Parts: sequence; structure tokens; C-alpha cells
Amino acid sequence: MRANLLTEDQRDCLQEITNVAMGRAGDRLARLLDVFVVLSIPHVSILNPTDIAMALHSLNRESTDVVHGVCQGFIGGGIAGEAMLIFNGTDFNDLAKLLQYDRVADEQAEYELLMDTANVLNGACLKGLAEQLDTHFSFGPPMLLGQHCNITDLLQNNNMTWKQALVVEINYSIENHKINCDLLIVIAEHSIKGLTEKLDYLLD
Amino acid sequence: MTTTNQEFSKFFEDVHWLMDVLQNIDVGLVVMDQSYKVVLWNSFMQNHSGKAPEQVLQRSIFSVFPELSETWFKHKAQSVFVLQNATFTTWEQRPYLFRFPHYRPITGTAEHMYQNSTIIPLVDSKGHVEQICLIVYDVTDTAVNKIAQQQANHQLQNLSRTDHLTGLYNRGYWELRLIQEFKRFDRYDLSSTLIMMDIDHFKKVNDKYGHTVGDDVIRQVSRAIKEQVRDLDIAGRYGGEEFGLILTGTDAYGASIFAERLRTTIEKMVVISEGQQVRFTISMGISQLSDKIADHRNWIEKADAALYQSKEGGRNRFTIAS
Repeated sequence: MRANLLTEDQRDCLQEITNVAMGRAGDRLARLLDVFVVLSIPHVSILNPTDIAMALHSLNRESTDVVHGVCQGFIGGGIAGEAMLIFNGTDFNDLAKLLQYDRVADEQAEYELLMDTANVLNGACLKGLAEQLDTHFSFGPPMLLGQHCNITDLLQNNNMTWKQALVVEINYSIENHKINCDLLIVIAEHSIKGLTEKLDYLLD
Repeated sequence: MTTTNQEFSKFFEDVHWLMDVLQNIDVGLVVMDQSYKVVLWNSFMQNHSGKAPEQVLQRSIFSVFPELSETWFKHKAQSVFVLQNATFTTWEQRPYLFRFPHYRPITGTAEHMYQNSTIIPLVDSKGHVEQICLIVYDVTDTAVNKIAQQQANHQLQNLSRTDHLTGLYNRGYWELRLIQEFKRFDRYDLSSTLIMMDIDHFKKVNDKYGHTVGDDVIRQVSRAIKEQVRDLDIAGRYGGEEFGLILTGTDAYGASIFAERLRTTIEKMVVISEGQQVRFTISMGISQLSDKIADHRNWIEKADAALYQSKEGGRNRFTIAS
């Protein structure tokens, strides 16, 4: 841990409840999508804006790699943050098959597919997490980086005023589909109070 | 007995003003059951669609609004029913769900209302989702502004990429594309060939006929290039009378066929300018990308060296770099 956003106990507790939450998320996704979702064990760490900036940088369209990112805000129960889903090497046709869309007609349909996938995956995970914390999150609309907001602007505007954030990282892959993505749940230092209170309550 | 009555009347009063809020809020609210029959239709929806509740209530939303794609909407809604998870649509992906014509004669800016929407689950007392609520937001002003901004950016971008005399890409942008093409080759091993091209004795044309005629010559050559390159080829003005052509997915042999066609076209061309008839020729150097080429500069050097050989060999010809 780079700093004391969380104590060791709190961290272990969070790791455990996210693990349970992911198990439930996997179950929900399996019911909706009729596939087996392979979820990694959640990894809890502390990051600073530079780390996030680096992640954003890798998503910038000016590079030749086709990597997409979708961000979605959530807030509730004294906790607030943003879920960032990064698609690495994901096949659009497989994604369309997964969500049972007939076809990927054009770029806009591809974007819609990314947003819908992100919404489903984020929703499943965060709902699981909220349940474990005995709270309820409100969600903002998913924002496709590079389309709904300009990545270069995000990097230049220096609008990340926080110094540290708690990040839960989960890797998804879906059996028999060329789909692999990383979900980062980012909770900045000033939005963490509700979480530590809930964790302490669970630890008692 | 009296207490219960008071409680009841308080409850009805509360429901009454809550319904007032739902009716009059400036967003569209539609509640639907699992068979997509409408059970709530607020004033926003009523006023913008021109359909009264009795025309809509207890009827399938798809039968009342054929513009709403049934398969698409059911896909979206399915995840709300199963995951109990809100879902979203944005105007960028789909401009509207319901086609509501614009209604403000003075400050209206679009033909129809742009809409964002959210579909939320309505969980009953048993924890099941029997109904969903569709919330429709009017985002016309935001959308129109963003579209205008995108168009302006697009125009600026085109301007900053284009050479004003010829309409081909300028050197800066062309070189950027050359670098990209080199990287693509490095990664995917797709063949690609560069032609560097120069107008023979252009200085003499300028000296003899003047710069206006010289400019016309450059314009005509550019036009011939534009007519002959394919969509995916990248043509730019590299210097005064020097041009660079990147033929994507093409080997040196393919490029030599292209070069010969361009050479004969230019050879036959007569530029009429300022009452003068000018004939001229071009020389070219061709270099196909290979593992031996270290970077994009090296690629240009190879093509330039071949161009130099064409000049040395008597001009009006092309040379393939060894």
C-alpha cells in the first residue's frame, strides 16, 4: 500500500467482499448471456492520477492499437467513483454474438455494443459490490472515451484533483469468445469515507 | 377509525402531489410491463408525441411507435429485467427513440428532438422486476452544438492537412501517414510501395514561362495524380515540384504499372496557360517496403536514390530501387 487510504484489515476485507460480489456478478451474467464468464480475483491497489493518465494514454486513438475504454460514474451510500472498462483485443463480432445483436452494421453500432457491454459488466459488478456493502448505487450513462469525451482534453485539463485513489481491478474473459477486458473501479480519496465505515462495520 | 381515515387521506394527498410531479416534470416518463404494454404516460410524452394517454395506455409501445425498433429495444430492456440494472441510450449512437418533431419556431435548431434515455428497473415488494421505466431526456441543444463543433473541427483538420495549390496532402500530414504506413508494415507485414516523383526541368518551365504557368503545371500534374490513385493511396506534395505517393497494399511490380501509366499520361499532356502550350515529363523512383528498410526516412532515401537514377538515366522514366 502506498499510503494509508485503507488499513491492511480493511484492504483484506474489501478484497474478500469484491471476490464474493464478482462471484454473484458472474452468475448474473451467465444467466443473461448464457455463457461462462471467467473473472479474475479482484486486485485492490492504490493509484495516483499519473497511473490513470497512463491508462488513458494507452487508449488514445492516435496510437495504432485498437483499444477501447468506457467510463461510467456511480454514487451512493457515501461512496462515489468511476468504473473504467478497457477492452483489449476484443472482436466486435464476438461481442455482437455475446449480446445477441444481429450484426455490427457500422461504427456507431460498434460503439453502442461497447457501451452496452460495459453497462452490463459494470452494472453486474457494482451491483454485487453494493449488495455486499448493504447500499445502492446510482449510475451515470456510460461514456465512450474518445467519442463522448476527448482523451487528449482529459489528459491536458489536469482535472484529476485527487492525489490517491483506491482501485479494484478485475479481469474478465468469456469462454469461447475473443473477449478480454479489464475493469477498474476507481474511488478517489475524498469519496471513500462511506466505504471505510462499511468495512469497519463488517470487520467488527 | 378516525386515525385510519386521516392516514388514508394523507396518503392520497401525498400520492396526488407525487403524481403531479411525475406528470409535469420536463422529462419523458413511460412505464411498461413485461409485454411492453404502457402503464404510465406522462405529460411530456403526451405533449411531444401528440398522443393522449387513452391512445397509448394498455397498448404495446411498438404498435404505437413503429419508429422504435422492437428487437433493439427488447435487447436493451432484457438486461434491465434480468440484471435489475439500469441501461442507457445516447443520441450519438441513436439520435432518438421517438420521433418528436421540433416545436420551437424561433429558437428550434433541429428537425427532430435528440434524445438520451435511461431504462430503470421497477422492483416490486417481492424483489421482482415486473415493470420498467423509460426516461427520455431532450438533449437537442447539446447535440446540435456538438455536431456543429465536430463539423468545424473536421473542416479545420482538412485545411491543416491540405496543400493549397494542389489540394493534395501537405508535406507534414503526408509524412505522418508515411510513418503510420511504415508501422503498419512492421506489424502486419502488408506490402506497400513508395513513389517519389519530380517534374523534369521544372526550373526551366518557370524561367521560360513564369510562375503562373509553373503553378498551372503543378496543378495539372496533381490532378492527373488524383485521377489515377486509388482510394487508399496517399498522395502528397513533398516539395516545390516533388510529389510523394504511397501505394498501400501494392508491391514494386504493381507500382511500376501505375508509374508507367502516370508517365505516359503526363508525357501526352499539354498544359495551356497564359496563351502558352507547355509540354513536360516526369521522373520517378520506386521503393517497396522490406525488412531491410530501417525507418520511414530510410524509405524516402531509397525512393529518392531511385529517382536520382531516373534523372541520371535521361529522365521521363521510373527506376525501381534495388
